[in-house]
Amino acid sequence: MRSKSENGFNWLALLFVSPVIIFLTVFTFYPFVRSIVMTFFVTDSLGNPGMFVGLRIWKKVLSSSEFKVSLGTTFKYSLAKGVLTFCLAMLMAFLCTKKTKRSKVYQTMFALPIAIASAPICAIVTYVFCRYGVFNAITGRTEAWLALSKARFWIIVLSSVWSSSGSSFIYLLVGFRNVPDELIECANLDGCGPVRRFFQIFIPIASPQIFFVIFLNILSAFKGFAIIKILVGNVEAPEVTTLILKLYQYAFVRDRYEIACVYGLILAVVIFVVSRIQFMVEKKVVFYQ
Amino acid sequence: MSMTNRQKENIGFVIRLIIALIFISPLFICLVFSFVPDEKLFAVPTIKTIVSNLTGRNYIEILKEMPVFMYVKTSLVLAIIVIVMQLTISSLAAYAFAYMKFRFKNFWFTLILVAMMVPGQVVTITNFITVRDFGLLNTYLGLTIVSFAGGRSLFMMRQSFLSLPMEMKEAATLDGCGDFRYLVHFAVPLSLPSIASVSILLFIGEFNSYLWPILVARKPQLYTIQIGMASMVDDTATPRYGKMMAVAVMSLVVPLLAFLIGEDYLISGMTKGAIKG
Repeated sequence: MRSKSENGFNWLALLFVSPVIIFLTVFTFYPFVRSIVMTFFVTDSLGNPGMFVGLRIWKKVLSSSEFKVSLGTTFKYSLAKGVLTFCLAMLMAFLCTKKTKRSKVYQTMFALPIAIASAPICAIVTYVFCRYGVFNAITGRTEAWLALSKARFWIIVLSSVWSSSGSSFIYLLVGFRNVPDELIECANLDGCGPVRRFFQIFIPIASPQIFFVIFLNILSAFKGFAIIKILVGNVEAPEVTTLILKLYQYAFVRDRYEIACVYGLILAVVIFVVSRIQFMVEKKVVFYQ
Repeated sequence: MSMTNRQKENIGFVIRLIIALIFISPLFICLVFSFVPDEKLFAVPTIKTIVSNLTGRNYIEILKEMPVFMYVKTSLVLAIIVIVMQLTISSLAAYAFAYMKFRFKNFWFTLILVAMMVPGQVVTITNFITVRDFGLLNTYLGLTIVSFAGGRSLFMMRQSFLSLPMEMKEAATLDGCGDFRYLVHFAVPLSLPSIASVSILLFIGEFNSYLWPILVARKPQLYTIQIGMASMVDDTATPRYGKMMAVAVMSLVVPLLAFLIGEDYLISGMTKGAIKG
């Protein structure tokens, strides 16, 4: 193969790579570094740094009770969303393990939420759980559910679960479909019932996907913004004000960019730590064929 | 009397179908109530009030006051810009990483991997300041420029290029076909399945994006359909549930069609390279 690079620069290759490097530098690395720098200054309402204050903003945020509440909320919401999405997607994937001529019909329906944006989901949920909504029509209750903080938390969790269950379902389905037919037949011949089959064949073979889906949902919940923002509106709702919501409020409602950046960086650290845990645990529990 | 396999299969199918229908029932609720006038929805609905009041009025009235189609068009344009730009930029880089030798190749590659680890939400604030200072608020460019580079599409294109037979590349080089020509005339056309996967993933992602558009699109002419939809949900002073459902239905048509058409590509795109094993 001809190579121009042996003695010197391969200009064409550099030309090919440069756009992606430039855009990543301007819109990923530079803003990341800039948001670290910004936390050391008091900024004006346009986000321009003013007085240098060192770690004062960090100390202020980390010791504030609203931060602690928000961190707790983030974990509570993420865990609830992660666990429930996983269970729902597991159930749907298990129903679809067998590929038949017609299985594509319900498979497509289970995967459908992938295509559905947060805003229409919020619209539907707002109507279903309003005072005169479908939920009350079915249950005979009369509450406006979204005005009750506890109910609102679970409605938001439920909406995000539904919204991400489609993609989790697809990942798990791929895992379940990796199980060879012969293995299932052998197990059947040996008198292995459906429950045992599930726990001793499907779960181990699909373990990479199962593991991936659990963490995918937790990590995506850390970043989940639209559903919470739209359903809560401008109401004070500490029970669902996760770190990303705090970031939004400080930056774009109160014009306190430096505080927002602290929240953003803490969010980045949380995401990074959880991904490291994922990476470390994966080696121990995941079974690769 | 025991059931034949055929009967068992039919029952299994019907049960699964019913569960799936329940799972997507929110969409049916949305569709049905989009045809019920707002004023009928200020009481708990009964089957009778629904059936006897079905009308298309919600659609006609909301289209008069809200440019729903314009919002959908904006979302479409943004999605297309992102797809075209990201595919171009990623294909170029993917080609270099797949076929070419150059200095610091591993370093650049690692750099892209590191960039993929930075969550987009974390850099939103500073990106907003950058885009504002560039004077790009309320422009299509400002709405899309942060999504021009994407690690995932780069990796998918690279994977696709690497799966092409090496002999073909060698033969083409011997015949004097340069890298750029090989990329445009062979590598890209032979990677259409991956291009389709990347496109549908980006399309749905971009159509659903919300945080970035609400920051950058400050004037209604540039509202995406998600912003339009959300503004209606947030208008709690005068809830108009029927019209809200009508807008939701209209907002869902394009992404649902894209999903149904591109489902196989979407699924292969989601699962390709996402998971080892």
